[in-house]
Amino acid sequence: MKNNLKLTPEGTKDFLFAECSAMDFICSKIEKVFVTGGFKRVITPALEFYDLFSLSCSGITQESMFKTSDNKGRLLVARPDSTLPIARMVSTRLKNSIMPVRLYYKQAVYRNNPTLTGRRNEFLQMGIELLGAKGKRADLEILTTAVKSISSVSDDFRIELGHAEVFNALSQQLDIDDNYKEKIRISIESKNYSALNNLLDKLAPCKAVSAIRSLPSLFGGEGVFEKAAQICKGTNAEAALEYLHNIYIELAPLNLGDKLIIDLGLVQRNDYYTGIVFTGYISGIGDAVISGGRYDELLSEFDAPMGAAGFAIDTDAITIKHLSDDNISYSDNPDVLVFANDGHEIEAIRYVDELNNSGVKAQFSVLSTLEETRNFAAERGIAQVKVVG
Amino acid sequence: MANNTKPIRIALTKGRLEKTTIELFEKIGYNCDEVKNKGRRLILPVGDNQFEVVLAKAADVITYVEHGVCDLGVVGKDTILENGSSFYELLDLGFGKCRFALATKKDFDFYSGYNTKTIATKYPNVTRAFFDEKNMDVRIIKIEGSVELAPLVGLSDGIVDIVETGSTLKANGLEVIEWVTDISARLIANTASLKLRKYEIEELQKKLEAVTQ
Repeated sequence: MKNNLKLTPEGTKDFLFAECSAMDFICSKIEKVFVTGGFKRVITPALEFYDLFSLSCSGITQESMFKTSDNKGRLLVARPDSTLPIARMVSTRLKNSIMPVRLYYKQAVYRNNPTLTGRRNEFLQMGIELLGAKGKRADLEILTTAVKSISSVSDDFRIELGHAEVFNALSQQLDIDDNYKEKIRISIESKNYSALNNLLDKLAPCKAVSAIRSLPSLFGGEGVFEKAAQICKGTNAEAALEYLHNIYIELAPLNLGDKLIIDLGLVQRNDYYTGIVFTGYISGIGDAVISGGRYDELLSEFDAPMGAAGFAIDTDAITIKHLSDDNISYSDNPDVLVFANDGHEIEAIRYVDELNNSGVKAQFSVLSTLEETRNFAAERGIAQVKVVG
Repeated sequence: MANNTKPIRIALTKGRLEKTTIELFEKIGYNCDEVKNKGRRLILPVGDNQFEVVLAKAADVITYVEHGVCDLGVVGKDTILENGSSFYELLDLGFGKCRFALATKKDFDFYSGYNTKTIATKYPNVTRAFFDEKNMDVRIIKIEGSVELAPLVGLSDGIVDIVETGSTLKANGLEVIEWVTDISARLIANTASLKLRKYEIEELQKKLEAVTQ
């Protein structure tokens, strides 16, 4: 049998030195935003019951999860997402808390991606959830926290904002089954105009059909609202549009300009989100780094109905981008290496502490001779060797 | 914005799609001399350094766009159906037209009998999706070269393949029994690029739309 002793599974990796320092750097920036905002950290298990993620609204496919079983043969998965475990936790452990609760997490998620696509199967995510609150103020709190988080790690970003109810309200007016609705949703999500047109051409023409046809192209600045208002006039989507416009106007003092885009074609995980939805992009990263929104129905699945909203940040992707920036260097070399002659070891270790306390990066040499220590310092490029005793 | 000085990078499928796309670019008024005299280079400037063209094999065009190292791509719908994943499909460019078809030996009654049918194809995912839709179990065998050979030598009951004129099928005594789907060249975009460079990409999309329709 082929031995995998020296390999890591596809999509996973070891993180060494600078990679860890860079990750800590990025995470601490974001963590500061979360903590300042009054969000409290929680940790959920890496293993959860499969049942949690098989909820029809979860939007997570069976084949994208790593599965195993417990000793009773029940199906377990390595968590592919942190929001569902937090919803489970809040509906049980925090059931009697004073609402709303503000939570944040910093933990890896696991996705079983198709082989040889270069995607990460294990990656660190940070995110917040604001549970037990609905309405404009809660939405603005989530959105501004997302903006603060992304701008703490990049100047060149975009946040795009949509509303799940726009598509949901329009599609409810059509006489179609869930399967057909899902096909339409996918073609909007991928901005596949030709597939969308093919699907809609088969339906009887009406106001909702022509509104859906325009959804993928309705993205941009405030002008979108004017166009959308005309297109959606008289349909059930009007209330959601008006609400979104209101939110957009409220965000004006942040002076985001081009950095805030309205995208009415934002329809990802639409059975899960019920209100505002948003994604964030950073220049140089080919995929969304933030994704979130309002999911007021989810907690009902756990018999604890309440308003809920949150977002997740792909801190791994941001770290990789950060490391590829030219002016970043994380040196792990000390300035001084301290060698102790026989019998003076503890004295030397105390001297190392003294140097470190005074701001000089020092390290105790564990090699047995001064010559070895000097050679090691020369090879590693450590400037100075000091001898004690 | 800092990134806007970088040219928009477009991955083109080498061969026929590349040539037709370049013709379209010239129609719009972009200078494509560098691409026409490319030699062995794989990255070439187009227009006034506004764009940069990368030449790649069809499936690789999708990979480059998906990972965001290319902002846009021109690739056949056949490749998208077989390898597709997450990116935006912006425009049907209307050239490179052909169709996926299910073909068998002439006068063979494919849908009769209880035995599970065997299909040879270069496109196992397209084939799987086609028969899934019919709730039909089939055995799929992946073939790399001339798929038409498989039913002739008795490896399979039928084939799923791209058909342009149908002359290869005819010459080998095969006939189309069902059309699977239409194929043509598509303009695809990386999801982040479309958000980060919306105006430049939309402008190109509109110009291409004007010369293709």
